[in-house]
Amino acid sequence: MSRLEAKKPSLFISEPLTTVSQPLSLLIAILKSCYGPAGRLKQLHNGVGGYVCLTSQSSAILGHLSVSHPVLKVLTASVQNHVSRFSDCGLFTAILCCSLIENFKNLNIASCTIIKISKHLLSLCTDYLKSKACGCQVSVDFSNLETLLCLVRSILTSKPACMLNKTEVDCLAVLIVKAFMYTVPCHPETKPVLGKCVTVPLKGKRVLDSTVIPGLLIETPEIQFAKPFSVKRTSSDAVKVVVFCVSMSGDLFDPEEGTVTVHHKISLEMSELDQLLNVGKQLVNDEVGLVVCQKVIHPSLKQYLKDNHIIAVDRAGLSVMEPLSQVTGSKPIASIYSLSPSCYGSLKDVRAESFASKHFVHLIPNDTTVCSLILCNRNETTWDELKRACETAEHVLQLTLKEPLALLGGGCTETHLASYLRQKTCCLSTSSSKDVECSPTQYQLITDAFCHSLESVACSLSHDGGEILTDMAYGHCWLVPSGFPSASNWSDLLSKCGCGINSSTKDLNWRHLQPLFGSSPIESCPKEPSGKVTDFMTLDCFAAKYNGLQVAVETANLILDLSCVIEDQN
Amino acid sequence: MAACACRHQSATGDGAKTFVLLLAAVLGAMREGSPRRAARALPAFERRVLERAVARGLRPHLRSAFPAGGPGEELEAAALEALLEAYLRGRLGPGERRAVTLLGCELCARCGARRPPALRLLCGRFAQLHAAAAGLPLARSRVLPGVLLRRDFAAYCPAGGRLRAVLVTRCLRPVLTGPGVECAVRSERQHRAALRWCGGRTEAVMEHLRSGGVRLLLSGVKQHEEVIFYAKLHGVSVVECLSSEEVALISEIAGISPYDPAGDSVQGEIAEAAVVTFCQPLLLGSQRYVHIGFSSAGAFQPHCLVLCAPVDAINEQHAATLHGAFTMLLQLFRAVDQECGAEGESQNSASGVGSGYSPATETRVVTESIACGSSQVSEHQLGACRGETAAQSSDLALQESERPDGTPPASAPGPHSKELSVCTDGADSAGTHKLPALCECPDGMNESHRRQQAVCSHRNYCTAVASTATLCEHLGVGKGPEKAGYGVTQSCPSSILEAGSVLPVGGYFEILLHYYIQHYAKQVQQSAVTVISNVVADALLSIPKALYGTERNGFTKFYLETTEALRKNQPLPVNEKGLESVYCKYQLVTSVLHCVTELLNIDLIIGVKRPLQKTEDKDSDDDF
Repeated sequence: MSRLEAKKPSLFISEPLTTVSQPLSLLIAILKSCYGPAGRLKQLHNGVGGYVCLTSQSSAILGHLSVSHPVLKVLTASVQNHVSRFSDCGLFTAILCCSLIENFKNLNIASCTIIKISKHLLSLCTDYLKSKACGCQVSVDFSNLETLLCLVRSILTSKPACMLNKTEVDCLAVLIVKAFMYTVPCHPETKPVLGKCVTVPLKGKRVLDSTVIPGLLIETPEIQFAKPFSVKRTSSDAVKVVVFCVSMSGDLFDPEEGTVTVHHKISLEMSELDQLLNVGKQLVNDEVGLVVCQKVIHPSLKQYLKDNHIIAVDRAGLSVMEPLSQVTGSKPIASIYSLSPSCYGSLKDVRAESFASKHFVHLIPNDTTVCSLILCNRNETTWDELKRACETAEHVLQLTLKEPLALLGGGCTETHLASYLRQKTCCLSTSSSKDVECSPTQYQLITDAFCHSLESVACSLSHDGGEILTDMAYGHCWLVPSGFPSASNWSDLLSKCGCGINSSTKDLNWRHLQPLFGSSPIESCPKEPSGKVTDFMTLDCFAAKYNGLQVAVETANLILDLSCVIEDQN
Repeated sequence: MAACACRHQSATGDGAKTFVLLLAAVLGAMREGSPRRAARALPAFERRVLERAVARGLRPHLRSAFPAGGPGEELEAAALEALLEAYLRGRLGPGERRAVTLLGCELCARCGARRPPALRLLCGRFAQLHAAAAGLPLARSRVLPGVLLRRDFAAYCPAGGRLRAVLVTRCLRPVLTGPGVECAVRSERQHRAALRWCGGRTEAVMEHLRSGGVRLLLSGVKQHEEVIFYAKLHGVSVVECLSSEEVALISEIAGISPYDPAGDSVQGEIAEAAVVTFCQPLLLGSQRYVHIGFSSAGAFQPHCLVLCAPVDAINEQHAATLHGAFTMLLQLFRAVDQECGAEGESQNSASGVGSGYSPATETRVVTESIACGSSQVSEHQLGACRGETAAQSSDLALQESERPDGTPPASAPGPHSKELSVCTDGADSAGTHKLPALCECPDGMNESHRRQQAVCSHRNYCTAVASTATLCEHLGVGKGPEKAGYGVTQSCPSSILEAGSVLPVGGYFEILLHYYIQHYAKQVQQSAVTVISNVVADALLSIPKALYGTERNGFTKFYLETTEALRKNQPLPVNEKGLESVYCKYQLVTSVLHCVTELLNIDLIIGVKRPLQKTEDKDSDDDF
């Protein structure tokens, strides 16, 4: 008989926003210190020991951090969801959301008014970002690799825990773009699906040893192959490939209900092995050169195939099955009782290769969208960080292919948007405040808090106490190197803005970004940048930043609207 | 209290908070005086005061959510939006409410769910008809044509244009043995042949499906690897491991039953196949979906909702809210019919209370007491009857006072005034005219009723009428929207509340009911009923008090303005666009009263250490 345990009463926290200040400022401090190329690393480890993670990426930090405050749980879940969709701009989203909550909380205005106005401001931003006249948007031309390289370089340099120097960044950026280009089909009208880039880990080698090769690498133990390695070809000089997704171990494992009675002296295992050898015979007759099995191949069959100069690779695993059928064009066979020649695929060549201490079978196709990225880094921790960065870069390139736009990086988009908003709301504030039923003062205060939050994201790029400036013409972000007196002549100190599009001239009229609260907005709309897209610009993924902006504002609104938290403790 | 509130909420999709507020207010006011006496007087109050207040007092103020000249039971687009908006206002934050309202309206409109049959399906299968994606702003939410299945293709073979799909609920590969079956293997060759036959048979079935134009296989179970293999070989896409709910949804919207390749022959036409306009994989976040465009076989136009929000919990909240909203809308198509004042009734309602409240039995259908004739009415009932006639004449007076200025209030649409005129007829000629009016329906059912009436004695007259009314109600429901236009329900004057009745939100229902309960309570002589009436009438005010509590003097201002308008027979000063279903509100009041009766009848609470056993458990039989 079950014993009933008395239910614990629900935990009721009223006004959760009053208790969130301290943990929120801790979280915001952690996140801000990670931001940008000069961001500080975080070492995440368990007190018991084991794996140590050295990172500055939001996905790793938020994934390992345990937050207990219910409000922060919502915030981190929201950022993690964004990252899982877009891979990039996680820290931007998190910092913006935290600053919005902090700044709005200090305003002492009814939350419904704040929500209405911040929604209105958000729609101003999103409309502007999508419009042709947007000054911080760059269109990406896929026939010119430079913008793509800029995008990838910006991602790699903003992850300092990868421990890359400039040559390594350049080399990896080229590899990543090259790998991405392999996955884009040459004839999209027949099969409009992106291929796959399979990352092969090689830890303990130099980053510069990384490389991209077309086709697929399947890791195997060395002893398998006869030397010299050769592959049987068909009359048309191609290699015929067959892929099995069913076990060829000869075990009877069909889990059927009911019983099978076997008469004396009859061995079903023998029967199964006979059938496997029959399959082997047919493969030999059909001039198959390579057999790949997802599961185990019976040693006898393996030996038989080897004797007949057929390369057999088993235990390939489920993960390679999809790229395998993409590379070879074969259909994985699920039955050893019927072999249809229509399931066979073909390859241009098969080779045995070894990188470092690992051995691979290299499947070289005629024309494919599958490639392998052999990624090297010195140790496990930095390799993991680099792997995450490469995945982000690949995802960003895919998103950019869908929507060929990019945003200016280096804090310029944030400051530019803020100055656009200040200018826009300045001339609109009386009419807009009526639309949303609040006083013009409230409208002004909330707009200021919103812009300040955007600017505080740009401010977190500076970590050594260096000053952050914005100019009055373009609304871009300028970082002063630390250690210079603040009164010095700025045009001598500065050379390029954050994104690298504008060069410094005397008439830019800089001012400090930090104490911008209540400052007068600029007279006209921030201008479009003077420069052209150059080789060494910092660019951010449009789709990720656009979504991050929306998610940050929406999450902040959600959290501001909380008046109590009821937690079921059972 | 919590259990009653939840039960009410799950039945009507609305009103859990109001339920608790109202219940607390009623119980609080009943602390003085004898609770037993109050509990006994509650059924009488309900019958004699509450129902009249709603049927007579509230009626002129009600609006209809169905368009005036429209084809009967279909929600007007504007009314739908107003209802949803008002519903969501109490549940979602200011930033989300508008977007979710528009999504709900779009979903309803595109599914054809402004009419009851499709709305019922949407409501019952909402869990399968929506999908959620986290990490995106709410603005990315969409209504998509077709259905999303929470599975990935086991085999995907792209096919353009219209194609056929079959539903299967067992594995298409034959097995050597089954449960309780023994298979004897006499030789290795035999075993191999058997396995080969299984494979060949699977391929034959697949070939047959493909030659019948089937390009999509929807399976309720996991299929054998060979089935997937042969499907790929023949260009048939496979979706397997569908949940039983998904299988039920598909067979419901496409009107097909599962296909079963019978016996040894794989010949013959595949009759049970659905027509699919497209089928493709869809990636929402990390979750893969199968997106299938079924062409509908019924009133429901298959569409599904993709909800987006930064966090999953928000999506769940939006989905639950929309589900509740659809449940609430479904209640809008129900009417409340009047109960008879005859003797049997008081027992009936008493037993109804005793057995616990259930929303399905709540719509009891009986005729007006006037139609029952006077011969059977006991003395104490006579008083009520007199009271009722008086009430009706005062009602008529109200009606008359409105008509001379030639401006009937905006809140009284066509069908209602028509019904009122029927009512007047009935009152004039003491009910005898009413019966033919009821029996004008040209159905065989009513024919039999006429015959039945002929043989019925005068004493059974009342019940005959009662059952006719019941039948009318059922006919109206059964025929759906097509025939409701000619007005079975409209010609039936015995309803307290008509289907589709709505009022503006913001405490108007409570104020009106408060006003009319007091009005009709004056006509009842029984002191206990008068006391209860005042308690309930005052308790009703706790709702607008809570609504307007945030503003200073908000409630007092609202109360004075409204009652002033009522006293002067002016239309209510409404500056609210949102609407709420009066059926739900009325249900709420009655279920609160039932809950009160239940609670007041409890005199002892006994705590037990063991979990309570349900009485229908089998082990109780073992004792015998």
